[in-house]
Amino acid sequence: MPRRSRSQHLGVSASAGGAVACACAASATFLGGWLAGGAGIDVPWAPTWDLRLAFELDGLAALYGLLAAGIGVLVFVYASAYVPRHLADQGRSRREEARLHAAMVLFLVSMLGLTTAQDLILLFVFWDLTAVASWLLIGFDRRNRDARLSALMALLVTAISAVLMLIGILMLRVEYATTQLPELFAVARPSTTVSAAVGLIAVAALAKSAQVPFHFWLPRAMAAPTPVSAYLHSAAMVAAGVFLLSRIHPLIALDADLLDGLLVVGFASMAVGGVLALAADGLKRLLAYSTISQYGYVVTMLGVGGSSGAAAASFYVLAHALAKSALFMTAGTVTAATGAKSLRDTGGLARAMPLLAIASAAAVAAIAALPLTIGFFKDELFFKAALERGDVVAALAVAGAALTFAYMMRFWSGIFLGAPRAAPQPVERRLVWPVVLLAGLVLIGGIVVAPFAGLARDAAAATHAGAVKLDVAYHLDARAENLMALAAYTLGLLVLALRPVLEASLGLVERVGNRFGPERAYGVSLRGLNRISDRLHAVEVRDLRARVAAVIVPAAVLVAVGVAFTPTAGSYRIGNVLAADAPLVATLAVCALAAVAVTAPRRHLSLALTLSAVGFALATAYSLMDAPDVALVAVLIETIFALLFVGVFALLPGDVLRREAQLRVHRSRTVRDIVVATLSGVVTMLVVWAAFSRPQPDAAMAERHLELADDAHGKDVVTVILADFRGLDTLVEVTVVAVAMIGVSMLLALRARA
Amino acid sequence: MTSVLTRMVSRALLAPTLVVAAAILVKGYGDVGDGFAAGIVAALGILLQFLAFGRDEVAAALPVRHARSVALFGLSVGVAVFAAPLVLGGAPLEHWPPATQTPVQIGSLELITAVVFDVGVFLLVLGSAVTIIDVLTAAGEDGR
Repeated sequence: MPRRSRSQHLGVSASAGGAVACACAASATFLGGWLAGGAGIDVPWAPTWDLRLAFELDGLAALYGLLAAGIGVLVFVYASAYVPRHLADQGRSRREEARLHAAMVLFLVSMLGLTTAQDLILLFVFWDLTAVASWLLIGFDRRNRDARLSALMALLVTAISAVLMLIGILMLRVEYATTQLPELFAVARPSTTVSAAVGLIAVAALAKSAQVPFHFWLPRAMAAPTPVSAYLHSAAMVAAGVFLLSRIHPLIALDADLLDGLLVVGFASMAVGGVLALAADGLKRLLAYSTISQYGYVVTMLGVGGSSGAAAASFYVLAHALAKSALFMTAGTVTAATGAKSLRDTGGLARAMPLLAIASAAAVAAIAALPLTIGFFKDELFFKAALERGDVVAALAVAGAALTFAYMMRFWSGIFLGAPRAAPQPVERRLVWPVVLLAGLVLIGGIVVAPFAGLARDAAAATHAGAVKLDVAYHLDARAENLMALAAYTLGLLVLALRPVLEASLGLVERVGNRFGPERAYGVSLRGLNRISDRLHAVEVRDLRARVAAVIVPAAVLVAVGVAFTPTAGSYRIGNVLAADAPLVATLAVCALAAVAVTAPRRHLSLALTLSAVGFALATAYSLMDAPDVALVAVLIETIFALLFVGVFALLPGDVLRREAQLRVHRSRTVRDIVVATLSGVVTMLVVWAAFSRPQPDAAMAERHLELADDAHGKDVVTVILADFRGLDTLVEVTVVAVAMIGVSMLLALRARA
Repeated sequence: MTSVLTRMVSRALLAPTLVVAAAILVKGYGDVGDGFAAGIVAALGILLQFLAFGRDEVAAALPVRHARSVALFGLSVGVAVFAAPLVLGGAPLEHWPPATQTPVQIGSLELITAVVFDVGVFLLVLGSAVTIIDVLTAAGEDGR
């Protein structure tokens, strides 16, 4: 990659400053609210549906909200230095920075709404908002096809699963007539419906947290600029999944099978993420796999459930988010300084970037659960919860921790130890000190753990729906948790030592996963859908007649089905024709003759004029049927259309028109056209006939309209209907006129440009 | 070039056509016709000018270049009448005055918001039709 010389540091833009200010304000509000013991808002939203804007800042909201806002402050500061570099690298205008910051703030706000929402429908709205914001953020490099596809993948995986979540929510609503979480917790009893509904919601949560088998979108999402990854893929978006599981945990806990399912998914994600992280070469890719694996831990602990499971899960989320966002930012800073994006191209940076090396060492140590970091306690709680669930779970927990230890050590030593590969360029301080601050928090948490434990305890209380005991401290004795930690370090070192031997098989695992994994299923189904849609489109737009048929045939079939299932007694009557009706009958006869005549002419002008003849005859019929308003409009429309037709024909070259008029239509097409015309014509006649056969209810309706027209100060009931009774219809219809105008102008402008 | 007679008749018809359109519009609530019909009548009057004089002369004599803005303004009037009651705490498209009050009259014109809505429809239809006629004739002249 070409390096660019930078004589001066770029300043902080207004949008970056605004984003940081938003995040600071949110952090202060959430911290204050938590310290004050919680707060809530509850106002009506859609009262007829019993929906309320109910927000509650409880322990769980405080934990996830503070993570999103607090880490947000640091990530936004980091972005203020990173994004201008990123844009300059790609030769883009610096003004695009504002777009990223706006989407980041949108994300922050939807995350805060999500964490505090107490109504499942409200929660769903914020859930989808986070998906939209993440789509904007991952696809920030719009000109990069890979980034666009990755953004789409993240959106599809999380938003399609969100539809399952909505189905689950509606099932709960049907069952218990409420979507308010506190009420649901009070009334829900174990049942198949509840299990199915909660299972659907859990699927959406697991997809959001990139758990197996939905994990494939997360490594792809690394196409996003690094601050986005540091934010979305450590503290916020992926955390939203486990947040939702924690939020509805009292409902999950009703069914032991669901808890077991979470255990299985959690362990599978730990294993898949851990092995792939050990194999990965890209810096951010390794971290993405690590995130999959780490949230696997959290899902496992939520599957263990109970007081200790809830406590371990909340504390794990807190410790992991602090350390992981520091590591993502480390990766970004290393790339900014050296241009290297993979472990293969980095090495020996410890001497050139000592501060970053020390800070990220603390973060790595935290994820690897070494003592004197907050991470040690996360594994202590994890092992404790696993032990309660039995020996198998405990053994798997140690194996997972060993994998984590191995790939984390590999990450840090690969960047900072060994022979220097490239001389780093100096970078802005804003690319380093957010990492240092997070490392500081991680180390403080390793010594003064009480405030962190307090936050996690309050969150776990909401998850467990009851008081939770959460004691963390160093114990210098041979208790099981300590022994398991030692075993994990030893095994981890062993894996690290054996890695060169395993290299080939690790690579094979990755290739097999890419070839036959769920990502392939995603690709196949997406391509299949595209192909079906292309084929339908091709049939529909082959020619004008096909396009007309595509509209009128389904309409005719639907109406015919409607007629078949409607009682028709007395509908198809043949009344008496009186002498006074003679003019009307004559007009209709002219109309019918003209309609038949339309099929005869081959020249465009004669065709247009014959069509007008049908229209004018119909207008006359309206006027004979006491419908002067309709007749007036019909005459006007026929006039202007006749003139426009003639005008358009005048524009078209004469020889083209003549040639088109000579064209023979293929026989099979003629047959198709006759079938289509007969079908729609017969169905239309059935409907019109039925409408004319029953005057009674219509008369009552007309009476009522006439009465109401007086109230509306009108004497012409048709106008009153258009402007008052059915005004919304009119508004939408005239909007169509405006759209048509814009469409015609654009089409002709394009033609002029060509 | 059209004949002198066509040009004279067309010019003479413009003002009456617009007056008829205005009459259909304001009388719409009491008699046959509404904003849509009025818009088409006015557009027909202008179409006649295009046919008789050609695009350049019409553009010089009449403000047809503003037709697009007129259409969008008409749409905004419609949306405003639709949305204004929402701000005032009523239902969308709730008209004023209500059934219990007698509207203010100026001659035979009654001041009610439904008429304002109809004026919006009129402007939108007139503006759209004139725009379409204008771009079609422009395309025709480019083609020659």
